Amino acid sequence: MQSWRRRKSLWLALSASWLLLVLLGGFSLLRLALPPRPRPGASQGWPRWLDAELLQSFSQPGELPEDAVSPPQAPHGGSCNWESCFDTSKCRGDGLKVFVYPAVGTISETHRRILASIEGSRFYTFSPAGACLLLLLSLDAQTGECSSMPLQWNRGRNHLVLRLHPAPCPRTFQLGQAMVAEASPTVDSFRPGFDVALPFLPEAHPLRGGAPGQLRQHSPQPGVALLALEEERGGWRTADTGSSACPWDGRCEQDPGPGQTQRQETLPNATFCLISGHRPEAASRFLQALQAGCIPVLLSPRWELPFSEVIDWTKAAIVADERLPLQVLAALQEMSPARVLALRQQTQFLWDAYFSSVEKVIHTTLEVIQDRIFGTSAHPSLLWNSPPGALLALSTFSTSPQDFPFYYLQQGSRPEGRFSALIWVGPPGQPPLKLIQAVAGSQHCAQILVLWSNERPLPSRWPETAVPLTVIDGHRKVSDRFYPYSTIRTDAILSLDARSSLSTSEVDFAFLVWQSFPERMVGFLTSSHFWDEAHGGWGYTAERTNEFSMVLTTAAFYHRYYHTLFTHSLPKALRTLADEAPTCVDVLMNFIVAAVTKLPPIKAPGGPGPRPKPPAPAPDCINQIAAAFGHMPLLSSRLRLDPVLFKDPVSVQRKKYRSLEKP
Amino acid sequence: MCASVKYNIRGPALIPRMKTKHRIYYITLFSIVLLGLIATGMFQFWPHSIESSNDWNVEKRSIRDVPVVRLPADSPIPERGDLSCRMHTCFDVYRCGFNPKNKIKVYIYALKKYVDDFGVSVSNTISREYNELLMAISDSDYYTDDINRACLFVPSIDVLNQNTLRIKETAQAMAQLSRWDRGTNHLLFNMLPGGPPDYNTALDVPRDRALLAGGGFSTWTYRQGYDVSIPVYSPLSAEVDLPEKGPGPRQYFLLSSQVGLHPEYREDLEALQVKHGESVLVLDKCTNLSEGVLSVRKRCHKHQVFDYPQVLQEATFCVVLRGARLGQAVLSDVLQAGCVPVVIADSYILPFSEVLDWKRASVVVPEEKMSDVYSILQSIPQRQIEEMQRQLFMEPARRENWSAANHQMNSLIWPREQWDSQIINDRIYPYAAISYEEWNDPPAVKWGSVSNPLFLPLIPPQSQGFTAIVLTYDRVESLFRVITEVSKVPSLSKLLVVWNNQNKNPPEDSLWPKIRVPLKVVRTAENKLSNRFFPYDEIETEAVLAIDDDIIMLTSDELQFGYEVWREFPDRLVGYPGRLHLWDHEMNKWKYESEWTNEVSMVLTGAAFYHKYFNYLYTYKMPGDIKNWVDAHMNCEDIAMNFLVANVTGKAVIKVTPRKKFKCPECTAIDGLSLDQTHMVERSECINKFASVFGTMPLKVVEHRADPVLYKDDFPEKLKSFPNIGSL
Repeated sequence: MQSWRRRKSLWLALSASWLLLVLLGGFSLLRLALPPRPRPGASQGWPRWLDAELLQSFSQPGELPEDAVSPPQAPHGGSCNWESCFDTSKCRGDGLKVFVYPAVGTISETHRRILASIEGSRFYTFSPAGACLLLLLSLDAQTGECSSMPLQWNRGRNHLVLRLHPAPCPRTFQLGQAMVAEASPTVDSFRPGFDVALPFLPEAHPLRGGAPGQLRQHSPQPGVALLALEEERGGWRTADTGSSACPWDGRCEQDPGPGQTQRQETLPNATFCLISGHRPEAASRFLQALQAGCIPVLLSPRWELPFSEVIDWTKAAIVADERLPLQVLAALQEMSPARVLALRQQTQFLWDAYFSSVEKVIHTTLEVIQDRIFGTSAHPSLLWNSPPGALLALSTFSTSPQDFPFYYLQQGSRPEGRFSALIWVGPPGQPPLKLIQAVAGSQHCAQILVLWSNERPLPSRWPETAVPLTVIDGHRKVSDRFYPYSTIRTDAILSLDARSSLSTSEVDFAFLVWQSFPERMVGFLTSSHFWDEAHGGWGYTAERTNEFSMVLTTAAFYHRYYHTLFTHSLPKALRTLADEAPTCVDVLMNFIVAAVTKLPPIKAPGGPGPRPKPPAPAPDCINQIAAAFGHMPLLSSRLRLDPVLFKDPVSVQRKKYRSLEKP
Repeated sequence: MCASVKYNIRGPALIPRMKTKHRIYYITLFSIVLLGLIATGMFQFWPHSIESSNDWNVEKRSIRDVPVVRLPADSPIPERGDLSCRMHTCFDVYRCGFNPKNKIKVYIYALKKYVDDFGVSVSNTISREYNELLMAISDSDYYTDDINRACLFVPSIDVLNQNTLRIKETAQAMAQLSRWDRGTNHLLFNMLPGGPPDYNTALDVPRDRALLAGGGFSTWTYRQGYDVSIPVYSPLSAEVDLPEKGPGPRQYFLLSSQVGLHPEYREDLEALQVKHGESVLVLDKCTNLSEGVLSVRKRCHKHQVFDYPQVLQEATFCVVLRGARLGQAVLSDVLQAGCVPVVIADSYILPFSEVLDWKRASVVVPEEKMSDVYSILQSIPQRQIEEMQRQLFMEPARRENWSAANHQMNSLIWPREQWDSQIINDRIYPYAAISYEEWNDPPAVKWGSVSNPLFLPLIPPQSQGFTAIVLTYDRVESLFRVITEVSKVPSLSKLLVVWNNQNKNPPEDSLWPKIRVPLKVVRTAENKLSNRFFPYDEIETEAVLAIDDDIIMLTSDELQFGYEVWREFPDRLVGYPGRLHLWDHEMNKWKYESEWTNEVSMVLTGAAFYHKYFNYLYTYKMPGDIKNWVDAHMNCEDIAMNFLVANVTGKAVIKVTPRKKFKCPECTAIDGLSLDQTHMVERSECINKFASVFGTMPLKVVEHRADPVLYKDDFPEKLKSFPNIGSL
């Protein structure tokens, strides 16, 4: 009985527990079965599934290695890309060779000069059969020249149709597989990696050289307007952003308050330039902004930015959404000085490197296509996007930035600590024994190359030197002095004329200076250019003056890259000029280096001893070269770099370069 | 746990009275009840813990319990993908206006199971990878659970693999998402697009305006500036831990590891192997593997068996050939193995090509040049190959696989999603965008390299002139002399006196010397040395001359020449007396040197020209606590400036003219030797302190100084531009 009672009470307890369980747990179990509602307010991310381990992969291992083999895809009809529509097999060997269709009938002056410019370039070939790219210039709509289908058209294969101005010329033939290089193509019609986007050039764009950028200082002047807006008829007005919340809203334009706008300018004077992205015509404003060093702010552009394939526009322009005016304005106002500084400088660099003349635009176009052909040996992005730019940093020289004199700091590397002396022996042809000894005495000298360039037979005996001495039996041409000999194994070259006289410590010190300025020429003897009012041209003087713009290459340090640039990028006509008037070669070399560096050369102490004054070049030489360059790149310097204790009234024992001070 | 404790106490009290044979039964029974109560009690008695820890019922759910949604056969289908979509046409940017921090907000739809009218499910609920991906999004800064604040919507409908989908029904499922709105601002992830027979290169599911992050885009389907190309994930390389392999030559020059290649391609490759022998290795599926060996992890050449993906590490170049699809998972394996991919897939949009410079880490060869692959690769210089190998270490696919190798499954997909979001983020807020170089530069290049903030070669016009800034405390007489002297310099355009004395007012206007340029006095709030380098609004020129109020010996010619030199080197400090830092081998630390040496690495800012931007850097970007340290010690502000400029430009100072000391030699003799020595010790301490804060010694030593062209030349003095250059 007791046991039954005990059992009963136990059963009671048990059933009570079960009841409890059902009552309390039932709801919960019910809730478990029902879909859980997300609790408003409580933050919950993606759930951690209890059975996440059981989930299967999106593709089974067996499936991943391609499911089925299928024949290669044929390109979709009508549409082209680089691989399917360009035949690179024609471009083997010499790289890009361009044939330009000769103009038919009367042509404009611009057309004629562009033709001349391409014909003078290293890309040009006169035979359409040997060409890898056939260029069809479609320049001005008026003459109606774009109507004829060229002979070697071949469905447009390997053709580039170049349109500098958006020509309203109706297409009378199918473009087929031809690439199109045109100004500001719309994003929808542009085929990335195949077409080339050009800048929208104004009618009067200079053909060669071109106006330099307007930027006179690195940082914006204090108090300069933040924003410039486009005006009708090609002008700009600056906007006072403090009072206006809608700088590009139509209403603001209708009601220009007294302090809001300033008079029209042809080039904007502001930190940022707002450019509408709708009309392709606005693209011409884009170039104006670049030239002025005004950071372009593009509002929802519907056209492709020029050379977007290679130029990193995030470093020079801002693409913003026009639907967020307040955010954009706030972002511009709050932009850090460092970013503004970098953007401004980049606009100027890009303008000078690729856009300032028609010739640069065309050469950039060809360089873009050449890069596609080169594939792995194309310009790295760094070379396109930092000074001096891809037109002046030839990828045929190297694709490694550290081989060039321009990128040591960016690459965290330094120029080599050794140089090669290249001694040119012209007539009368005396072996420069003393000079060889002086140069070989330098601790930095790695090798001596003697370029024997005169009628006399080569001497059989040369002095014993500590460094290897190589004799090259050169041609009689002066331009040979700047040929990129493969025997030159160091970054630095000391170019010498056999008649120069230098001491070992002069060489040592000048080389140390060069290591600080590897992209410039470091020389001893200097000369200057000046504007000759009387003759209306440039003049040249080797007189000693308070400033100089050239150093003589009869004794100068420079980077070996300039030999490549001299030989491969100069128009042939200029090299011929140098051969015909040997004294001109100094001017030419200084022009190249200055055009690349945009800086004057450097003068080191030494030189003006009792030696014959170098003969002045033909007076017309400098003007011919300046005309070929399209501008005057030379810049003047007023300083000389001396040793720290140079000619100081302190004990000679303290001085490292004592012998420099001997009269 | 309170419930369980309560019952536990009651339990043992009953048990001793029972017989042993029942005991087990009851205990079992009780235990079940107990467990039942505990289970229910979890939810019933601790409502607070449910709120506080989401781990229990909200998040820890079974995938099988997700709600089921029935899709009627006639429910709407979105339009096909709109190929003309661009950010400014198809993307609703107004939804993204909430975020002051320029970060987009991403919302994820809750997971649902879709079935058709007959109850047949539309697709697999969710794959492991997609689940991880969504988890990663939800853990990121981009995630929001508020659908109203979201700018980007990610459906939880898994479309990674098109083969597993019922296309029409999946599209219908998309269309009924609560904020679908023609797919605006919706982001879909797809890795295996298309299906037999024509294998489209983008997801075939009609998706209207939705953005697509897809693997295997071609130039024809990729919407530049709208879609994102992503790598095809390889589960294999996530499982295998490959050791890091440095740059350098490998056993094989060229390797092909793909199975199921098109026979034509295989023929081409095998022809290469015949021609070039040992250096080319073409692998295929293994046919005669013993039971139990995972065939996915093996590759064979004839009868030789290789471990995959380990074998990839033995090759310099690895072929990534397209199959029916353009995007190949093998690319991920190849990248992870540090093998330079040779991509042979015409029109393929490489992953993240918008921001990654693939040229630096891969070789792209057109399909028609297949047979020339070997010679094309041979023409690449060894150094460039090594650079590519180094670059591989920072490719995103590689990084994400790395983390996978570390079995941090969570971060497996995370970087990928971060990249996608970052790319789209950059499109919406381009002014906050990351530049191409920041995406691409390997850390190794960044180390030791500098990007000069004044990189444009430019000689500012002389007409701009310079602003002289004189820091003064109370030496009025000396200050006035300095003002008078400096005002004689032709290119001076403004003079700024920084009055650093709070206890005393500057002299009245009438007492100041009358000079030809504007003179301004700024009063400071505190007597701090760093006030000298503050970017005052009053500075209107780029060139700044910092000059002490007791430096009167510099001639007008010297100062003018200094300005001319600065114009030629606007990114450097141009000063007069030079100083040097030396390594003291005995003490094993840096030492400050003011003796007359042949070298210079610093200039004193008691009189120095520099760009005003460096004032901004000094005031706002000086690393560590240097600025406070200088103010506290009232010393070494000039050394700090020298460090700062050298560090940011990577360039040396320019010392101008012979000047060695500011004060006449006899004056310093009066100060006495002991004072001089403590001074030297303090300055040396500064150098060591700054070098440790910068983490490097940025100062550059040079052996040259700038003199006028004709300085001390045998030339008539009166014809020289700067005849009056003082000595020492």
